[in-house]
Amino acid sequence: MNAPMHHSPPPPTLRAESIGKAFVSGKLRSRILDDLSIAVEPGELTLIAGPSGCGKSTLLAILSGLLGVDSGRVLALGHDLGQLDARALERFRLHHTGFVFQGFNLFPALTAREQVELPLHYLGLSKTQVRERAVQSLEEVGLAPRMHLRPAELSGGEKQRVAIARALAKQPDLLFADEPTSALDAANGQTVIDILHRIARSHGTTVLCVSHDPRVIHHADRVLRMEDGRILDDQRNTPAGATAEEPSP
Amino acid sequence: MVALARKTLVHEWRRFLPAVLAVGFAGLLQLLQAALVLGIFGSASVYITGSSADLWVGYPGTQSVNLGRPIDPNVEARLLMDPAVARVEPFIWLDADWHSGGGTGGVSVFVSGIDPRADGMLFARALPPALRALLNEPDAVVVDRADLGQLGVGIGDSATINGRRVRVAGVASGLRALGGVNVVASLDTARQLDNDPADGGRPTYLVAQLHDHARAAVEAAAGRLRADAAFGPYEVWTARAFARRSMLYWILDTGAGAGVLFLAAIVFLVGAVITSQTLVAAVAGSLREYATLNALGVSVADLRWVVLEQALWVGGVGLLGAAVLGAALLALARNQDVPAMLNPPVALACAALTLGLAAVSGVAAVRGLRRADPATLLR
Repeated sequence: MNAPMHHSPPPPTLRAESIGKAFVSGKLRSRILDDLSIAVEPGELTLIAGPSGCGKSTLLAILSGLLGVDSGRVLALGHDLGQLDARALERFRLHHTGFVFQGFNLFPALTAREQVELPLHYLGLSKTQVRERAVQSLEEVGLAPRMHLRPAELSGGEKQRVAIARALAKQPDLLFADEPTSALDAANGQTVIDILHRIARSHGTTVLCVSHDPRVIHHADRVLRMEDGRILDDQRNTPAGATAEEPSP
Repeated sequence: MVALARKTLVHEWRRFLPAVLAVGFAGLLQLLQAALVLGIFGSASVYITGSSADLWVGYPGTQSVNLGRPIDPNVEARLLMDPAVARVEPFIWLDADWHSGGGTGGVSVFVSGIDPRADGMLFARALPPALRALLNEPDAVVVDRADLGQLGVGIGDSATINGRRVRVAGVASGLRALGGVNVVASLDTARQLDNDPADGGRPTYLVAQLHDHARAAVEAAAGRLRADAAFGPYEVWTARAFARRSMLYWILDTGAGAGVLFLAAIVFLVGAVITSQTLVAAVAGSLREYATLNALGVSVADLRWVVLEQALWVGGVGLLGAAVLGAALLALARNQDVPAMLNPPVALACAALTLGLAAVSGVAAVRGLRRADPATLLR
């Protein structure tokens, strides 16, 4: 892969090597991904875009270790995900990955701070560390003043920011986001994109996002366009906002 | 630790209410059933539990206190020979027919002939000294307050037992019997009422009080005094063992035990079905949130524990409700002379059964977590 001349790319943290995936429904076997290879680098917001049904969510599920592959292999932070059993995958996700979903999936009974604290307890952190990290993450997404509110008292954008804080507080190396803005209005969508972008830049996190939202496409550092289970092109947005065409791998 | 299970229970209490009610009512039913069984069948041994004797001596193989046969009164000498025995008292128990002018026809009664001394052992707990003194008058009897209606008499009224006139000198509480009505008289009166010449005024039981009432001492004495062929056929039981033996005889002999177990199983089953369905629905309602936690690396085992914890909270809250309501109802029952009794082991068993019900329901609900696959969130 070629990178813009002004920065030498860090080694990829996430790599798919000729992966294939098909779903069988009755006698029908539909091929979702076909001999697909990509490498995702840390410190930037990488976007997978494409029409619905192109396989982008399946690709995200596979790269994040939520779904196995039929062929090929996935390397995440040097681990071959196919070699890990269910328990080891859970442990890998616990220590290295964060998720933001389209639905915010917050527990109605918990306050914003508790939502963020909940997964942290399973990391074996002390009570104080858990509290500190949760508050810090909520500050980072601008929700510190509202951290005592429950989901029912928060707007859609605020809920998504809580979900981001929940993922962020784990200090993950890999952050996956699936259509994080599609349930939000323009302003809130923009805020969420900015936060994801900032996380990639300031924490050096590998942020991989799936979306068909044009606003996200403009703010991503890199855009992978998918169709019919293949990557059609791989585009890198320059910091100035101009786009530099690159050949697909 | 964020108390997800407890906070969800409080926040979404409407969702969990059916489960709490199911557990609570199942617990309450078990508790009341146990109390009634213990109360009703415990009254089979009211002669023993209402008395202060440590040892009971009766005909060998007697399965229940109401099935006694006369024994040789000379066994008393054998008992008194043991240095541990402080004193011995005879007890006459007989089946009889009660007739009153009250238009109730014949009533089957159990006559207890006791030593009416103020410090007599028989019915020491049920009959205060003043009431016992009344029995010194010839033909005087005492009955339970709750039985007056059934006997068709009031205090001071006369009736006949086995054709002989008796007078109701007073009423007590805690004398109710199983399968008949208890009538307490003095030993002399009871002998007069016994129309079976084969009995010959012999006692049905001899009861003994020891110097040392400690359980170990009583058991040791019972072991020492067990059958001595020189005094004819007799057997010695500790009061505790004989009361238990009498109650078990009634529970098992009448088939009530099987009925109770059957009812307990039904209550358990219905409670578990309702509770597990509610918990399954609660898990299904939070499936996406659980799946998100799993995506974030919280293991399925930890999620299972959250569901189980929720079930145990439901069980705990239900149990608390059952305990409060049960205590109130038992107090009411006691107040109304309904035989209901609960002892700590049985109450604990009921509590354990109720929590077990909640736990079983929780295990059933845990299965619902299988559908919490985080990959399904990416569709």
